[in-house]
Amino acid sequence: FYVRASYREGKLEARLAALQSAVDEYNKAKNEFAAKATEEQMRLLRFQRRMQEEFDRPFMDYSLQETLHSLLMEGRIRPAEQLYKDFRIPDKRYWWLKISALAEKEDWEELEKF
Amino acid sequence: MASHLSYGRVNLNILREAARKELREFLDKCAGSKAIVWDEYLTGPFGLIAQYSLLKEHEVEKMFTLKPGRLPVADVKNIIFFVRPRLELMDIIAENVVSEDRQRSPRDLHILFVPRRSLLCEQRLKERGVLASFINIDEYILDLIPYDGDLLSMESESAFRECYLENDQTSLYHTAKGLMTLQALYGTIPQIFGKGESARHVANMMLRMKREFAGSQNQILPVFDTLLLLDRNVDLLTPLATQLTYEGLIDEIYGITNGYVKLPPEKFSQKKQGEGGKDLPTEPKKLQLNSAEELYAEIRDKNFNAVGAVLSKKAKIISAAFEERHNAKTVGEIKQFVSQLPHMQAARSSLANHTSIAELIKDITTSEAFFDNLTVEQEFMTGVDTDKVNSYIEDCIAQKDPLIKILRLVCMQSVCNNGLKQKVLDHYKREILQTYGYEHILTLSNLEKTGLLKPQIGTRNNYPTIRKTLKLWMEDVNEQNPNDISYVYSGFAPLSVRLAQLLARPGWRSIEEVLKMLPGPHFEERQQLPSGLHKKRQQGENRTTLVFFLGGVTYAEIAALRFLSQMEEGGTEYVIATTKLINGTSWIKSLMDKLEAPPF
Repeated sequence: FYVRASYREGKLEARLAALQSAVDEYNKAKNEFAAKATEEQMRLLRFQRRMQEEFDRPFMDYSLQETLHSLLMEGRIRPAEQLYKDFRIPDKRYWWLKISALAEKEDWEELEKF
Repeated sequence: MASHLSYGRVNLNILREAARKELREFLDKCAGSKAIVWDEYLTGPFGLIAQYSLLKEHEVEKMFTLKPGRLPVADVKNIIFFVRPRLELMDIIAENVVSEDRQRSPRDLHILFVPRRSLLCEQRLKERGVLASFINIDEYILDLIPYDGDLLSMESESAFRECYLENDQTSLYHTAKGLMTLQALYGTIPQIFGKGESARHVANMMLRMKREFAGSQNQILPVFDTLLLLDRNVDLLTPLATQLTYEGLIDEIYGITNGYVKLPPEKFSQKKQGEGGKDLPTEPKKLQLNSAEELYAEIRDKNFNAVGAVLSKKAKIISAAFEERHNAKTVGEIKQFVSQLPHMQAARSSLANHTSIAELIKDITTSEAFFDNLTVEQEFMTGVDTDKVNSYIEDCIAQKDPLIKILRLVCMQSVCNNGLKQKVLDHYKREILQTYGYEHILTLSNLEKTGLLKPQIGTRNNYPTIRKTLKLWMEDVNEQNPNDISYVYSGFAPLSVRLAQLLARPGWRSIEEVLKMLPGPHFEERQQLPSGLHKKRQQGENRTTLVFFLGGVTYAEIAALRFLSQMEEGGTEYVIATTKLINGTSWIKSLMDKLEAPPF
């Protein structure tokens, strides 16, 4: 319910608050998975805002995968690596992603270094 | 025009005629010229009942789709709204009516609710202060729509979602009502069998409605011997698998809506080649598909691998028939040839269409992606490694394949394993959320609520037992000349159809154990017939069973039931009814929750 509400909020702060309520509710309902996932979502939103301010281009509401993809496409390897560690992305998926992103921007040198 | 409806064992044209008659009566109630404002969703189903020509005969001059804002200008005396009883549609109507008043044109307004009027909706119209503007508020009971010679559908998209997710039994009520209408036309059905929670509800409602009518006995000789009500959630697996019949594949790839399919135009432009191909059609090609087309009736239910052979054989027959003209010597022979021409030409163009469609499908079925997907599906169905994280699914997620494809596979694995280990389930869920976005958490929870996706709790996996007892997996299927229903999925026999088959022979008592493993109660009811109406069965006469799928049915399941009807030693013919024709994709889609955030 709160999750739904959070998507109606235009402002980041209000959205985060709604999501926090959702986390509380999930905890009450002992739905650990959902609570953790929602916390993760909040963390991603904060991260995206930081990226948006830093690089001056939209990042908000991309999925984690899309965020990583666009970071890699712009050659911003470092924040990408950090995301990869923070969110404990399985290696397999990360490598898939990295290869496809590098291939897409035809960065054969970086691909070679793999 | 609707001749294909009367071919079958049961003449469904009677039902269609009854529906048309009621529509005509309503239209005649509003004297003078009319414009119809359509709830867009209804136009498709209505097309199966009445063409535009019928409406025109009753002075319908304009048709619009229901949109917010003002009604388009039309010089007519009556405006009729054809709508489903939905609150959000009432708001649009109110808006229409209010802006209409300002123009001060004296027009009569009517509403026709399909399939039932609802107090709630009328209340909403009252709140908006427009209820009094309507002269007629009526309902048009359109529950079961005849779709083909042996197929009825309610075309109610969200029935599964409502019943199993939202616990809303409205559609079950419509089902029961629809079955009552059917019984009024075709006689009381003496035997009712059922499996599942919703089936039980529908049967109870039917029996209650019958008691309410206790005074009037139905004096029609029953056409149906048995009614079988099946819950979709008894067999969640079948719709998840990719259908492999011709019709099933057309539906999987292009989607069939209300008996029509839209196809990419490129393959159908041969005729225009003479014009230098300057105006290639850009509109998708729309084709109607039903058994009225001779060729389609023959190939629709075949395994796709058997379709090619039939098409090439047909091609030879037709060209041989055209060659005949050289042999025609006498005037009489020529005359005979000419009289056959229209039929032959129709056959030739139908052959050309289906050859093109088959080519389009073949491009896809021979692709590597299709093959990989199928391999994994078949592994799950035979129970290979269903308890581990599947690496093919992981790869698909990493490459961001369509989400519905992923969900179909994951749900399938879960169903075949009677739930996934918590660790495996959480892994999939995390992968999906991180790749496709956190908003899908609601969709995932919907899937869990309906039992499509679930954690394994304690109990051991009973799917292998079910599979073995019901012979759901058959090695060595014969796709060309099938001897078992499993040909429709190249090896997998739909559980739902197997239940129908076993009910006819030797009866459910033999599989009591397995029935208990499947969700919901199973039951049997009898409806008393007035004496004198008991059918005297002639030797060798087949029984007729109506199978009703609550929550949707796939084309492959229909094909399997048709196959059973044709089997000589089967002794039972089937007529199929459902809330909605589905495939795995449309089904999962109906369970998804879409959230879109406002941009920051």
